[in-house]
Amino acid sequence: MDREFIPYLTVLQTGTTASFPNRDPILHHIYSFSPAKTFEIKLYTGKSPSSVTFDKPGIVTLGCNIHDWMIAYVLVVSTPWFGKTDASGTVKLRDLPPGSYALHAWHPQQREAAEPVTVAAEGPATATARFRMDIAPRKPKYKPPLDRLKY
Amino acid sequence: MPAVPPRRPAGRFPKLGTRIVLFFVALLVIVQGVAAFLVIQANSQVARRTINEQLEQGERVFRQLLTQKQERLEQGAGILSADFAFRQAIASNDTGTILSVLRNHGARVGAKVMTLAALDNTVRADTLDPSRIGKPFAYPDLVNVARVEGKSSSIVLREGKLYQLVVVPVLAPEPIAWVGLAFEVDDAAAKDMHQLTGLEVTFASRVGAAEAWKLHASTLPADLRLELAAELASTTAFADGSGEVSLGGEEYETRLAALEERADKQVVAILQRPLAVGLAPFQRISAVFFWMTLAGLAVLVAGSLMIARGITRPVLRLADAARRVQQGDYTRHVDVEHRDEIGALAESFNHMLDGIVSREKEILRLAYEDALSGLPNRAMFYEQLGQAVRIARRGGDNISVMLLDMDRFKAINDTLGHTVGDQALREVGARVRAALRDSDIVARLGGDEFGVLLATGDKEHAPRVVAEKIHRALEQPLVVGGQSMDVAASIGIARFPEHGEDADALLRAADVAMYEAKRTKARYAIYNSSHDERRKEFLTLLGELRHAVDAGELELHFQPKVTLAGERTTSVEALVRWRHPKKGLVPPGDFIPFAEQTGYIGEITRWVLRRAIEQCGRWQLNGSRVRMCVNISARDLRQGEELVQFVSACLAEAELAAGMLCLEITESALMEDPAIAQSTLRRLRELGVATSIDDYGTGYSSLAYIKQLAVNELKIDRGFVAGMEADQRNAAIVRSTIELGHNLGLTVVAEGVETEHELAQLRRFGCDAAQGYLFARPMSAPAFERWLSGLRDETGARAGVA
Repeated sequence: MDREFIPYLTVLQTGTTASFPNRDPILHHIYSFSPAKTFEIKLYTGKSPSSVTFDKPGIVTLGCNIHDWMIAYVLVVSTPWFGKTDASGTVKLRDLPPGSYALHAWHPQQREAAEPVTVAAEGPATATARFRMDIAPRKPKYKPPLDRLKY
Repeated sequence: MPAVPPRRPAGRFPKLGTRIVLFFVALLVIVQGVAAFLVIQANSQVARRTINEQLEQGERVFRQLLTQKQERLEQGAGILSADFAFRQAIASNDTGTILSVLRNHGARVGAKVMTLAALDNTVRADTLDPSRIGKPFAYPDLVNVARVEGKSSSIVLREGKLYQLVVVPVLAPEPIAWVGLAFEVDDAAAKDMHQLTGLEVTFASRVGAAEAWKLHASTLPADLRLELAAELASTTAFADGSGEVSLGGEEYETRLAALEERADKQVVAILQRPLAVGLAPFQRISAVFFWMTLAGLAVLVAGSLMIARGITRPVLRLADAARRVQQGDYTRHVDVEHRDEIGALAESFNHMLDGIVSREKEILRLAYEDALSGLPNRAMFYEQLGQAVRIARRGGDNISVMLLDMDRFKAINDTLGHTVGDQALREVGARVRAALRDSDIVARLGGDEFGVLLATGDKEHAPRVVAEKIHRALEQPLVVGGQSMDVAASIGIARFPEHGEDADALLRAADVAMYEAKRTKARYAIYNSSHDERRKEFLTLLGELRHAVDAGELELHFQPKVTLAGERTTSVEALVRWRHPKKGLVPPGDFIPFAEQTGYIGEITRWVLRRAIEQCGRWQLNGSRVRMCVNISARDLRQGEELVQFVSACLAEAELAAGMLCLEITESALMEDPAIAQSTLRRLRELGVATSIDDYGTGYSSLAYIKQLAVNELKIDRGFVAGMEADQRNAAIVRSTIELGHNLGLTVVAEGVETEHELAQLRRFGCDAAQGYLFARPMSAPAFERWLSGLRDETGARAGVA
């Protein structure tokens, strides 16, 4: 809404099917040329005329063909244990079976990929991993003001 | 043969006009030349500056255009890369599809070459060179810029060709690849630039400062391109980016605009504009200038020719006139055409001409006319006489010359002044002129001398007739300044050919005749060769007379006056005699008139007075009381007080009473200058000297005049006395004169008494005294003393009667 994708970043497990409802009064044309999932939903509004199943892990960059500034990322992961950090940069993964896990961190504006961290999960204990990432500031593209004319 | 120097035609000055024309032409050419030089110089500078400014401006426009074009290309590229289908095709990853979409979309924006590079800078597709696929993209710098700016562009060299390369990302919506659009910089591009800037545009590049320039595109024709390339290779110019290049014989202002400036790649746009374009307007001005100069030159030549002719023609005319004047022709004036300086000169020239004419006339007049009388002068007379002689000689004719000299004229001048004398001369001249025919010539020869030339063909008697006429004309007294005066003239006549062969001889003859007339107191005399002898004699005598007084050659003779009442000798007349050493005794008539003329009479009179008074004194001492009578001339009388003083001194010296002296003055002498005579006589009377009028009856004086004169005595002229016997009228005149004299209280003395009969008559008429041969001839002092003593011895008897 407000001619933006919301949310900016979505993390999904492989095989998840997602729909892209349009709550703007104007049409949008969602597309992705990402190798992980290429699709497009041509001009529509309201409920998305079709849903998309993200069947391969990877980064899917979403754009709108008529609004160049609109951008959103769908991170498709092949694990059920994933999460998105809050504003403070913290994410909690719960109920993990005990074992050793490789922990990956990703950010859309990261300058390079962070090394995965191996974490051991045992019982109710909480393990903490910390990532240091070099992230470029997000530079939004020019967004023209909303047309005030109602029709 | 000596070379004859080229003679310039007199009065021609062809060079003046030419010089004027040449001067003005040279002036114009120099002024116009300098002006043209300066104008061309300035024009050329202005043209170069203008061209340079145009080039600078052109470069700015060019760069602006370049930027605009680049932006347009970038924009086009951006739009192209944002095309969904294009992105879809690129994303398809199918090389064939990608190549075709690159070609298709590249054609849309006019790109010559399209290249697609992956994000890792490897070439994915190239529409021109498939071999590049998989190799690194050749322009990573552009990619780096485009990554930040979203687009980038540059002029690049690729396989020897020049391109404007634009690199933009393919966004989905993040960059998924780079696409390079290469637009060739070709002649069409150059032409576009040319149309917008008006400049010749050439793109050139080199791959190093030491390398040769390579020309890629140009608006210049092919041959000029080669020249330009050669120029660029050979010249060291354009160090500052601008200069002049000669292409195809035409100058171009040239400016290099650097587009790429790297060590291994230099791209420039060569902007040019022909100098001729800048100069064109000035060339038009120059052409106008040139034609105007030519036209001005023509007008100037014509004008200065006209002015020159306007000057030289009147000047030549003046020169002609001057030459005529030089030749003595004063009659033609110069036409005054214009009221300018030349006109003023011509007018002055005419005035000068008039002046010359009138002066020449005046000179002629002065040369040949006597200013006083207005008659011809001596020179004229002489010339005309000469001419008349020549004509008469040819025609065998006679001519007569008369010389007319006024008698006693000097007296008029001396006593009445020259003004009166001049007037008298004028009057005489006029009367003589009036007495003659028009064909006769009357001239005033100088002083009181006139000349008359009687025209040819005259009869022999004519001169006599004319002389009589002249005398009649002068009989009437002249009235000048309120005074009446008698004049007379002596006329000498000479005839051609008898008396002289030429003018000189004739004049001399007439002169001799004139003196003869004077000598004989005739009215006129015709030349006679005997005159010459007499005249010669006379001249000799005159010279001798000058020293006669000093040499003691003069002596006094005495003739008594005898009273008729008692026949007593109461007075004696002193008469001067000249005892010439060779000629013996010369009678007074032969030298006294000439002594009077020469003025020498004064000396003689003083000598006579002194000696006579001395003698009288001596006789008185010896007991003989006789009054001494001395003749004095008119000239003596004119000395006035001087004479009175002299007489007084002599009397005092001789201790003689004034009453013992009697001064005898002829009637005519008294008439010459009545006023002076009157006053002098009065002074003498006051002195006590007795006075007597001699030769009475010859001078036409009236008794009224005689009455005014302080005289004591009248002496009747011997002419009347001698004529008494023959003519009763003379006797009557003598008788009445005696009576009248007595009535006036004067003593009357008869002169020249020679016969008893005369004596008897005189006694009867009551004459007081007589003088003459009847009583005694003039005699020496001793003889007179003897005669006197004899008379005493024989009282009452007449002694010395011949």
